[in-house]
Amino acid sequence: MPLWFTLAVTKAAATLSRLLGRGGGHALPGVIAERLDPRLAGRLAASLPHGVIMVTGTNGKTTTTKLIASILEANGERVLTNSTGSNLKRGITSALISAASLRGRLEATVGLFEVDEASLRRVTGELKPDHIVVLNLFRDQLDRYGELDTTAALIGEGIAATTARLYLNADDPLVASLHRYASSPDLVHYFGVDELPPDAPDVPPTASDSDRCPVCRSRLEFSRTFYGHIGHYACPTCDVVRPTPDVAVTAVDSADATGSRFTVAVDGRPTEVVFPLAGTYNMYNALAAMSLAHGCGVAPAVAAETLAGTVAAFGRVEELTLDGRRLFLLLVKNPVGLTQVLETFVSREAAPHLLFAVSDLDADGRDVSWLWDVPMEALIPSDAVVLTTGIRGADMTLRLHYAGVASEEVEDVPSAVERLVREIPVGGTGYILPTYTAMLAIRKLLAQRTSMQEVWR
Amino acid sequence: MSGEIVIAHLYPREMSIYGDLGNVIALRKRLEWRGYDVAVRPVEVGEPFDLDEADLVFGGGGQDSGQLVIGADLLARGEKLRELAASGTPMLVICGTYQLFGHGFTTIGGSEIPGISVLGARTVGSTVRMIGNVVVESPFGRLVGFENHSGQTTLDPGQEPLGTVTKGYGNTSTGHAEGARSLNVIGTYLHGPILPKNPHLTDHLILTALTRRFGVTELAPLDDDVEHRAAEVAAARPR
Ligand SMILES: [Zn+2]
Repeated sequence: MPLWFTLAVTKAAATLSRLLGRGGGHALPGVIAERLDPRLAGRLAASLPHGVIMVTGTNGKTTTTKLIASILEANGERVLTNSTGSNLKRGITSALISAASLRGRLEATVGLFEVDEASLRRVTGELKPDHIVVLNLFRDQLDRYGELDTTAALIGEGIAATTARLYLNADDPLVASLHRYASSPDLVHYFGVDELPPDAPDVPPTASDSDRCPVCRSRLEFSRTFYGHIGHYACPTCDVVRPTPDVAVTAVDSADATGSRFTVAVDGRPTEVVFPLAGTYNMYNALAAMSLAHGCGVAPAVAAETLAGTVAAFGRVEELTLDGRRLFLLLVKNPVGLTQVLETFVSREAAPHLLFAVSDLDADGRDVSWLWDVPMEALIPSDAVVLTTGIRGADMTLRLHYAGVASEEVEDVPSAVERLVREIPVGGTGYILPTYTAMLAIRKLLAQRTSMQEVWR
Repeated sequence: MSGEIVIAHLYPREMSIYGDLGNVIALRKRLEWRGYDVAVRPVEVGEPFDLDEADLVFGGGGQDSGQLVIGADLLARGEKLRELAASGTPMLVICGTYQLFGHGFTTIGGSEIPGISVLGARTVGSTVRMIGNVVVESPFGRLVGFENHSGQTTLDPGQEPLGTVTKGYGNTSTGHAEGARSLNVIGTYLHGPILPKNPHLTDHLILTALTRRFGVTELAPLDDDVEHRAAEVAAARPR
């Protein structure tokens, strides 16, 4: 089948889908392309002069992808990327189709795709990525993947089908262990954090994700843990040990809800980074982006300058003003992520105002059990003013009740947002913590209430 | 009323997924709200622990790899656990620990993890992943939870199930039995976690422990509106 024909059909389908109001037609062209020409994505991507980059891992994919795109653009690349929520194979194919001319030509110089963990092996064989970034592996929506070890093996299969350079989180034992799938040891790069300030709050670890040696299953010995199972480890039985990162945070000068300042050593040479996204987890996202940038030949100073101008990715950490109140919108989707968000934004505030919006549709994860894996007792001050909403708002109220935090469930989401705003004193701050579909609903709602185009890009 | 109840938490590091920790939180809070002190004692692989101290035993779900790690250690404690079960100690075991409280678990990869036969149940890994909201009719009343397993568990003739599913899978992808119950030992696939949303089951376990320890025959009632509301919502969700 000629390329132009497949492209014409799939592009027409995208247009039709948009006209019918079907969510912008993100996935439909990809679905059709898979039928007409399963190798279409690979054929299109092959024409990108600077190749393909993939970003995977449980938390931080969207943010890190966005950081990398900004850095590469600052370095003169034209970046083709997939939009939020389209990180399965058909979403990536759709992104390529919509960017291609009818002759299959792309304006872009490089493809940058965030890829769902379990989907990586379905796309690497065909798209032949030149670079793969793996951020972290936490429990998330296990209803899809079964077990964490399985997810790691799926990513490994995806890596093994390529000759890509790897950028692995040295501080996540399961991620670092993926080096064994590399086609050559020379292609493996690590990023990691050497030091965090000693005054980082003492949060009890969440139900441990991966503190077993990925090779021999002995319990790893940790000399430092930064969050979850992320830290400095060594296996007491075999030779597994945290690899020395070639891109590393060597010192953190300050870290609070407005962001952090830290020093990143790239091959031993220090660069100062001022990064406006708060939280240790976001520091890792920045580090991953710098690691990839270094591997693509971008000067660390260019990367650092771009990071300083960061605006958060869609729904991850968004800030806006509404009726004289400051609101943070903070997407939550799994225990480690929620723990990090609470620790960063809420745990040190006096009487914080919070709204949890918990839903259980497919995109949220249908099982809400994980709320009990978050140490709410330690992270939410007992004088917090808390509202809950969403399909499973009652589950959140129940969880908080057993954590000694009173909350009130407001049945519909718009009323809950209104209530939150009214509860916050003028000039005060509130935090909205939604799961994915609740985030989409709240974002839409807030868009009608505030001139958010200025705040959100 | 006062006094201390000891909860032995089996292998919290390996066997605590899908919020199963919430069961320990529920047991603790519902005891504390009634004026009792609670000590939760983790029982970890290779660490000595005198199970005779336990008024209540709890074990949660884990990955297959976690079950492999705890298998031998649990076997070594098997005789003591069978003895405590026979004497009426209340126990709640979920998913992975439920499987190993039976005769054993054959993983999909063919590994054989022997169990301790506290319950008459045998589990074989399958390619069917049984996932979703569950509602069970049981002698304790309706139970709601969320299951996520690929093990198919068959009960011995004469082994009572915990109840019958009216929504969801339960022990197998084909039958209606859910869990297993012998004396005061309850095995189940229900996460959710099970106890916070099913306070009648939590209170049954608590009262059994208090009766055995202090001769208490009645529990002070608690306001369970929040619990019931969350259970209603969960029960109404699609499978
Ligand atoms: Zn080892």
